[in-house]
Amino acid sequence: MKKIIVENLKYKYPLTNELALKGISFDVEKGEFIGIIGKNLSGKSTLCQALVGLVPHFYKGGYGGKVVVDGLEVSKSEISELSQKVGIVFQNPFTQVTSCKLTVYEEIAFGLENMGISRGEMRERIDNSLKLLGIYKFKDRNPFDLSGGQMQRMAIAGIIAMKPEIIVLDEPTSQLDPRGSEEVFKAIQNLSKEGMTVIMVEHKMEKIAKYSDRIMLLNDGEIVDFDIPQKIFSRGDLDSYGVTAPVFTKICKGLRIKSKVTGLYPITIDEAYDLVVNYIE
Amino acid sequence: MKILSLYQERNTIIHKVDPISKILYIIISITIPIIMPYKIIGLLCMSVSIILLLIAKVFKKVIPLVSFSMIILLSIIIIQGLFNGLNDIPAFHIGNLIFYKEGLLFALEICIRVINILCAFAILVLTTKPSDLIESLVRRGLSPKIGYVLSSVLQIIPQMSSTMATITDAQRSRGMETEGKLRVRIKAFLPLIGPVVMNSLINTRERAMALEVRAFNSKATKTFLNEEQNSSYNKIIKVILIFLLLLAVAWRVLI
Repeated sequence: MKKIIVENLKYKYPLTNELALKGISFDVEKGEFIGIIGKNLSGKSTLCQALVGLVPHFYKGGYGGKVVVDGLEVSKSEISELSQKVGIVFQNPFTQVTSCKLTVYEEIAFGLENMGISRGEMRERIDNSLKLLGIYKFKDRNPFDLSGGQMQRMAIAGIIAMKPEIIVLDEPTSQLDPRGSEEVFKAIQNLSKEGMTVIMVEHKMEKIAKYSDRIMLLNDGEIVDFDIPQKIFSRGDLDSYGVTAPVFTKICKGLRIKSKVTGLYPITIDEAYDLVVNYIE
Repeated sequence: MKILSLYQERNTIIHKVDPISKILYIIISITIPIIMPYKIIGLLCMSVSIILLLIAKVFKKVIPLVSFSMIILLSIIIIQGLFNGLNDIPAFHIGNLIFYKEGLLFALEICIRVINILCAFAILVLTTKPSDLIESLVRRGLSPKIGYVLSSVLQIIPQMSSTMATITDAQRSRGMETEGKLRVRIKAFLPLIGPVVMNSLINTRERAMALEVRAFNSKATKTFLNEEQNSSYNKIIKVILIFLLLLAVAWRVLI
């Protein structure tokens, strides 16, 4: 079943002359974990916002093509309607705090109150999402008293509690330390296994390579490639798109060690380890 | 994290009364002395408010509020005591200044009313969490958008002042003088306030998006995480308050 269908999407921000997205087409199956990579200003965030309806409804501007998310055509639906199908977490956790709630627990409840969820279910969902992100112990704190990383997890929990079928994450681990971001990735992977479709923009290549089912490489508002991580990172022209391969891939590229089965370079430490050990033997 | 609020955390009966009853109390304790213009009624309302504040254990916090208004009240006493048009019977004199009885009584009435209003509002402000107050107003049909603006202001203003402090420190560490003569301070003001304003404009846009995607504009009927404090004694309080008001009106009409 196709969850997201994008057909020839073109978009231009108001008061600019250049297209931010230049005719993008792709589709995503239910339960897939999609990574989006590309250098700054390549259109990653714009594409994310096009999936939830902020583009074009919030920004206005020139829009062409079609985005269908879980059966809803984005350009003809309202953001509040779309928000129950697809959730988005932004880069800056600080501005995602609603600032009208006094505790983390109430903060998570914000979206659910707006959706009109009953109190019992609300509590259950909030508890679940707080535990999933490992911030249950902060539930009575003031949202602004949290550290950047905790705030970022709270922002993710706030969206997960709304139980969207698709979750879009725009650099969700930018403020987290390595351990914290690993935990967040694991939590999101679990959701993905439960059938949630995940779209994630991320600059940590080792992580995105490890967790994604497919990776989209964007450059200048166009899709360069959309394929399994091994194929994407085995490309020889990554540097020209401002992207670097995971360090394990780089090592094996340097040593010219490819997998004999697929003819591609490894992308995770385990794959690399196996290949290097076998090569030596 | 500081919140712009005078709320005092205590565990008393007054804190458990719902905000709407408190608002009703304010309205009634202000209108009854107007309907029944006797000093004794005003005094009674004032003492009820003070007793309630004592029960809520927040009376200490009212003293600075009242003493602040004392400056104005004192000037009313002096002016009315000296110059009220009805002044006839001298009460006492300080040097050449003669204070008259009528003016002083009139001033007393005003003082009672002002202190009464202050105390009645203090009950609401000191014993109610702002968020609870706003939530109960939203439940009663206040637009959630207005409710959001009211409650976010209470958190965003302290947030902005802490951003301001960060920026001040940053500019200072780059050698800008922010202290000293007035001229130096004025010169420092623009480079400080500029980033704060720009920052909050950008933040506002991002926050608006974050609210949008959390179904803020949803047409679904809103639900609330916290249960409404709608116990029977809140209803009894409201009934008694309205009964008192009706009694005062009836008294005024009949007598």
